[in-house]
Amino acid sequence: MPARYGQDRSSVFLLTVFVMIRENMMRTITRTLMAAALGATLLAPPASAQESGAQTAELSGFWLTTSWPEMTIKPGENHSVSLSLRNQNLPPQRASIEVTGVPEGWEWSLKGGGREVTAAIVSPDSSERLTLDLTPPEDAETDRKYPIEVRARTDSGTVSLPLVVRLSETEPVTSGLSVEPELPALRGSARSTFSFKIRVKNEGAEDGLFNLAAKVPNGFHTRFKKGYGSEEITSVPISAGSTETVTLEVIPSRSVSAGQYEAGFEVSGEGLTGTADLKLDVTGEPQVAIIGPQERLSGEAVAGRETSFTFTLANSGSAPAQDIELSASQPTGWNVEFEPKEIAQIAPNSASEVNVKITPSEQAITGDYMVTVRAQNDNISESAQFRVTVKTSTVWGAAGLAIIAAAALILGGAVMRYGRR
Amino acid sequence: MRREGSPFTGVGTVALKEAADHMTSARMHLIMLLVLLTAIGSVYGAIDRIRDTTAEDPHLFLKLFTVAREPLPSFAAFLGFLLPLVAIALGFDAINGEFNRRTLSRLLAQPIYRDAVLFGKFLGGLLVIAIALLTLWLMMVGLGIMFLGLPPSAADIVRGVAWLAVTLAYAGVWLALAIAFSTVVRSPATSALAALSVWLVLTVFWSMIAPLVAGIIAPIDPFDPMSIVNRFEWQQLIARFSPQTLYGEVTGLLLDPQARSVGPVFAHQLRGAVVGAPLPTTQSLLIVWPQIVSLVAAMLILFTLTYVVFQRQEVRA
Repeated sequence: MPARYGQDRSSVFLLTVFVMIRENMMRTITRTLMAAALGATLLAPPASAQESGAQTAELSGFWLTTSWPEMTIKPGENHSVSLSLRNQNLPPQRASIEVTGVPEGWEWSLKGGGREVTAAIVSPDSSERLTLDLTPPEDAETDRKYPIEVRARTDSGTVSLPLVVRLSETEPVTSGLSVEPELPALRGSARSTFSFKIRVKNEGAEDGLFNLAAKVPNGFHTRFKKGYGSEEITSVPISAGSTETVTLEVIPSRSVSAGQYEAGFEVSGEGLTGTADLKLDVTGEPQVAIIGPQERLSGEAVAGRETSFTFTLANSGSAPAQDIELSASQPTGWNVEFEPKEIAQIAPNSASEVNVKITPSEQAITGDYMVTVRAQNDNISESAQFRVTVKTSTVWGAAGLAIIAAAALILGGAVMRYGRR
Repeated sequence: MRREGSPFTGVGTVALKEAADHMTSARMHLIMLLVLLTAIGSVYGAIDRIRDTTAEDPHLFLKLFTVAREPLPSFAAFLGFLLPLVAIALGFDAINGEFNRRTLSRLLAQPIYRDAVLFGKFLGGLLVIAIALLTLWLMMVGLGIMFLGLPPSAADIVRGVAWLAVTLAYAGVWLALAIAFSTVVRSPATSALAALSVWLVLTVFWSMIAPLVAGIIAPIDPFDPMSIVNRFEWQQLIARFSPQTLYGEVTGLLLDPQARSVGPVFAHQLRGAVVGAPLPTTQSLLIVWPQIVSLVAAMLILFTLTYVVFQRQEVRA
């Protein structure tokens, strides 16, 4: 059996090899046929060839261009002019580039691919980008036009690009970044998160990564999110001419008092800056805490007897707490009374004392019980668990001692009566 | 006719002599051997059990006394059952033995009063029991520390010592009973049998008698649930006539800090309660204070009766 099996395997292998060889042959044949066909097209009537040549001839050539050939820049600052070499439908072109007309004292450099270059080769149907960095000196004469010429010399000829640079002390008016908050003023309590949706448009010529910053009062927290996303970000990439929505979330500190607060939003990057002023209207909120006697939440009581505990209600919020009603949930048969039962008002950062009178049930067995003390009004509801240890009355302990004493007295009496025999 | 001097002159001498006699007697040796063996057995069982089940208990040390492994009862239950036997063995022939050996008149020929003889005999017996108990207790603690490897907390020690004191009072009740029989009954065999039968009735049969009697006094009305409670309270009241019941309740409360009550507890009493929270030692003591008082008072009153009977007896036999 194994022998036959092996034979089968080898025959299959041979078959595969044969098929492969056949396929290769087929491919070669096909290729030859196609080449013949192409040759036939090349030899086709010249009329059609001339027609297609005329279409491409319209756009063929070699150019040196820039988007803005006249510009205003500030002395002492670096300014980049982006240049583009375009080769359309020509064989690869080598171009040596010369810059002339740069005034004395100006710093300049020509960069391509991050390095200083003096020549470029542009392959057919593509462009190469070059950057001309210009830095006029601080004391350069302003309000004057400086003509600068960039020339690209190729084997077939020279293309030249005249640039006009005007120097001006004043900053160019356009910032390049427009910042527009959707809702510039928000209102909320000290516990809420203020979410500002801000549209940032990059009006500059280039894509860029822009840093986000916010100026808020001390103790406030901020975070940035992109659009409706959940990730926190510190910067946002915006391509030229497009708009991104950034969410600025401001979380006020809990202890902040009610009032108006200002927040500043700033986007910066690529030499551009945009700002927006935002307003937060924080409304006050009471925050009431229940504090047990001596800051403990436990106490002792005797079954069936009233014990008074002094609780403190402290308002640590930013608005007065009004009409606070006190209540308790207690074990069955217990009695809990408050004095006073209602508190008219607790001002912020002040406290009010309440006497809580707890009477455990007569049948309460010794041990620990939980009493929940609650303070509530229309918008707050606070509760505290108070642990009451019920103790047995020591009256019975004394009674027991009396019984033992009585028994001892009887013994003593017996000794007195019958003693010394 | 009044005589001069304190009636208690010589009590110490008699008590110490009595204690020394007990300590060297074969009877005492045998019975203490029995108690010791059972105690070691129950402690060993308890330690095994604690290792298996209750690894995390804040009052592990007290569990030594109360935890039992199946065939053996717990140490506390053992003491409740066997201590009366020790006390009866020490006291059943305290007075009539002297009569029968005709040594009482010789004893009273010494410069002591009759009071001193009876007080001395009682205190001597109590002293022997106290020494035996303390030894047992220390042995328990030692074995516990050795096998469990953890020292008892201060609160546990306080509870343990309080329980030891109550145990002594419980033994005192039985000692007083045995001495009472030995005073009233002339034959030591009869007084021993009488004391033993009381012991049997109160420790073994009382738990059967109490519900029976309670059922007769307060029958259960099937249409009135309160009658069940009423009957249970009667049953508890009758059961408490047995010192063993009282001692059992004291043990339960003192050695289990989480226990809150000896009587029936209703659901409404537990609402809002923090279950499992341990009670302070003083609170546990206060809850079983009536039981402790009953034991001490029973001991004193039994002894007083014995005293009155003995003082009025004719001793010149």
